[in-house]
Amino acid sequence: MNIKILDSWLRDYVKTPATAREIAEKLSLTSVSVEKLEKYNDDFIYEIEVTTNRPDLMSILGIARETATILNHLGIKAEFMPLKLPKPDTKGLANFIEIKNNPKLVNRICAVVMEVKVKDSPQFLKERLETSDIRSLNNLIDVTNYVMRTTGHPAHVFDFDRLSSKTLTIKEAARGNRIKTLDGKEHLLFGGEIVAVNDRNEIVDLLGIMGLQNSVVTSNTKRILYFIDNNDKFHIRKASMSLGVRSEAAILNEKGLDAELACEALLYGIKLFEQIAGGKVISEIIDIYPNKTLDAEIDVSQSKINSVIGINIPLSISSKILSDLGFENKISGDRLKVKIPSFRSTDIEIEEDIIEEIARIYGYHNLPSKLPSIQFSITNNSVINEFFFEKRVKDALKYWGFTECYTYSMVSAQLLEGPEQEAVTIQNPLNEDLTYMRKALVPSLLKVVSDNKKHHEIKIFELAKVYLKESNGLPKEISTLAGVIKKTNASFYEVKGLIEQLLTDLGIRNLAFKNSQKGGLGASIYVEKEYLGEIEVLDDSLIDFEINFETVLKFANLKKEYKPLNKYPPLIEDISVVVDSDIKTEVLIAEIKKQSELITDVTLADKFGDSRTFHIVYQHPDKNLTNEDVAKIRKQIITSLKENFKASIK
Amino acid sequence: MEEELINIKNTALSFILEAEDLKTLEEVKLQFLGRSGKLTLKIKDITKISAEKRKEVGMLANEVKNTIEDAIKQREVNLKHKTEKVLRQKIDVSNPGIKPPLGHLHLVTQAIEEISSIFEKIGFIRARYPEIEWDWYAFTALNFPQNHPARDDWETFFIKEKPSPEKGQMVLTPHTSSGQVREMERTVAKRKELARERSATGVDDGISIRMLNIAKCYRRQSDVSHTPMFHQFEGLVVGENISIVNLKGTLDYFVKSYFGEKRKSRIRPYHFQFTEPSFEVDVTCGVCLGKGCKLCKAGWLELGGAGMVHPNVFKATGIDPKKYTGFAFGWGVERVLMMKDGIEIDDLRLLYSNKLEFLEQF
Repeated sequence: MNIKILDSWLRDYVKTPATAREIAEKLSLTSVSVEKLEKYNDDFIYEIEVTTNRPDLMSILGIARETATILNHLGIKAEFMPLKLPKPDTKGLANFIEIKNNPKLVNRICAVVMEVKVKDSPQFLKERLETSDIRSLNNLIDVTNYVMRTTGHPAHVFDFDRLSSKTLTIKEAARGNRIKTLDGKEHLLFGGEIVAVNDRNEIVDLLGIMGLQNSVVTSNTKRILYFIDNNDKFHIRKASMSLGVRSEAAILNEKGLDAELACEALLYGIKLFEQIAGGKVISEIIDIYPNKTLDAEIDVSQSKINSVIGINIPLSISSKILSDLGFENKISGDRLKVKIPSFRSTDIEIEEDIIEEIARIYGYHNLPSKLPSIQFSITNNSVINEFFFEKRVKDALKYWGFTECYTYSMVSAQLLEGPEQEAVTIQNPLNEDLTYMRKALVPSLLKVVSDNKKHHEIKIFELAKVYLKESNGLPKEISTLAGVIKKTNASFYEVKGLIEQLLTDLGIRNLAFKNSQKGGLGASIYVEKEYLGEIEVLDDSLIDFEINFETVLKFANLKKEYKPLNKYPPLIEDISVVVDSDIKTEVLIAEIKKQSELITDVTLADKFGDSRTFHIVYQHPDKNLTNEDVAKIRKQIITSLKENFKASIK
Repeated sequence: MEEELINIKNTALSFILEAEDLKTLEEVKLQFLGRSGKLTLKIKDITKISAEKRKEVGMLANEVKNTIEDAIKQREVNLKHKTEKVLRQKIDVSNPGIKPPLGHLHLVTQAIEEISSIFEKIGFIRARYPEIEWDWYAFTALNFPQNHPARDDWETFFIKEKPSPEKGQMVLTPHTSSGQVREMERTVAKRKELARERSATGVDDGISIRMLNIAKCYRRQSDVSHTPMFHQFEGLVVGENISIVNLKGTLDYFVKSYFGEKRKSRIRPYHFQFTEPSFEVDVTCGVCLGKGCKLCKAGWLELGGAGMVHPNVFKATGIDPKKYTGFAFGWGVERVLMMKDGIEIDDLRLLYSNKLEFLEQF
């Protein structure tokens, strides 16, 4: 909530040598944030942001009380001068109207009938309202707004003769009632709004939100019913939101206002009508007050104050701060017994609320800064730290030329690529494109590729969650790594190699690549029989991969093993064989390795047509191998490949 | 013997020819002509053969030695010449280099890494909690009243699932503060478990939390300064006598570490449901350093919210608010990122547009 007020208006209630700039700065530091200080002729306008828990500060008087307290404690003299309003003498005056209240709806009603003259407001009042973003209409309406701005409590004025009713009954509206508010707009009521009806059961007011056209003052008004209603905040919020009428009165009333203020607002209004509208009280003052705010008291201990704030603030200082803010209090031993004033009854409920008042007026800027002392109760082992491995994988991909993407977790039905009823679905999506929680990352990345048409070569990746619906409870959120490569003649082996290196770097061995279980061209990836994910060849220039990162984390480790270095050099040779292309390389390698313990490594060195060349490393731990040693093994290899795979040797 | 000498000559010559640099050549020389080189040893053996043959073999040995020495010299000249040739070639230093591949991490990742490393140094432990959460974690346990506007349809995304009788509706968490509740619940549960284990000794370490929760959050808005998905980082410190003074210390430490030594922070009163007192945290403007300029509000920029953990949040998670206090802060990763020099992005949605021209700038 923002409020704009003139500096000169504020100074009606605070006497201080402080400049407007000083006031703005001190308020921002210790109370409400002054968003803007604007020069206005010889004056200034403060634009102040008031938090929703402090409706009492949506007023000149509230800000004045804070300003005076703050300035005093920060060393600048200041005095708060509250309104002093005598009750008018109404002895012998008649009672014109009976108000029937429903205490469930309205906490307090103060009202009076007055004779008035309608005219323009005086210039100073117009200026104060208009700089406060309130339009000046005529002196009668202006008084209600001026009262609201000064005291923080909304006020209303009826044309008493247009009401032409002996009673005014407060009740909940029925669904389907039609009303026309004073701004000329028609509304169909939802039911439950607080309304006032006259003798003929016509709705004449939408309480706490806006007056109605059928009872509003006009240029012919002679007598008014000046009316202050303190309403149940929940009824007001519901009605204001569902009708879409966000008047300033509604915004204040829905926060819950101090019922004690109602009488002050009434008396101040009477004084203003007398001053600027030739007003004369002609009825008794009505005050129906079923829901009095109960006096609350909170006990605060010195030790609690110290432990929350972090330094020792003597109780005498705390006590002074609180009384300046309007909290009566008493020191008793090491405790402070604090009475909560009615205007703070909605936001001060617990010890911590009182401590906040003490700390902020003492000045947060007067407190030292000190890091909390370190107390480790949690050890930090990298192996179980997902963030450690995430960073490692992201860095590796970056240094291999990949660019990281962040795409939205919410996707369209099209990007979901699956039955919609199986997806976690947003009930109130922002739009169709952001309706389902995705179950895979690759579709989003492929969209990034198609959105970046100009680029002929793209390597992108993302590490994010996918969301799987559970029959019971929260969905499963699975950390997932996906990537897409787009380039001419993209190779499956390039992506396979990438996955292998990535996982090798995380200490993961025992990887297996099998023909894709999804049926397309590509591979399913496994670690020790556990399914990890897929490589998918989409066409000759587009390949993607997606792996379950939580499975990766399960196997990732930092274990390193030392093996003594070999003292004797290896013998290395290549053997080329021609075998049926359906026989997998890994099968041939396994067969070759099986032939002797002295074969320490076999890799596919080259592949050309049907011919595959294997690079074979022979090594003995304790001696130099001779040609004869190797010749024997070679013979064995050739025989087994011929017998088992009908291989021919080149 | 003669045959062996010839063999030595042949092997040596082939090694010499294979030597691709002077160092290898030197090694080859030692291997054959050194004090315990193959040829040197063989020549020593000549004394063992019969006198009549000795002369002949001696001559052969000499010839072998000369041949090897000549070959080495020759090779040495060639290799030196080769090096000189390389050194004599012209290099156009302005031609492009041959680069290893270098991709790009997203700005958000870069910010998260920087933030994490700053807080890790003062003992914060990273955590991550569900993005799809129960109302209990997102609101109720955080002291939001049932009719609070944050629960409105136009603020928070709701999930089309049956509500849980105990934990309410499923929502996309609108803030990382839901992680506060998860972290406190986890700590309380762990403490109970530990207490059972050592019930014999009765030792109790008490509650001590230093969490840094960085995660995706979601709110129902999209404009130049909002995206429906964004990231927050949430700090939570709980213990005995954790105070506003400690919060100020932590904020100062972060602001100076992340934005630079010259920057200052301050806290102002504010209002949040789950902290009491609550603060708004400001940082001095990077351009005017607090003096006030066109880009800031009288010298200060708003960073985000913070506060002392509300006793109702402690109660909801089973921590005794009489014994423990704590502070928390939760700020936008995107927000602190944009407050860094040089990254004043005019439309936040660009961060999630995944335009390569954008991503490749960083």
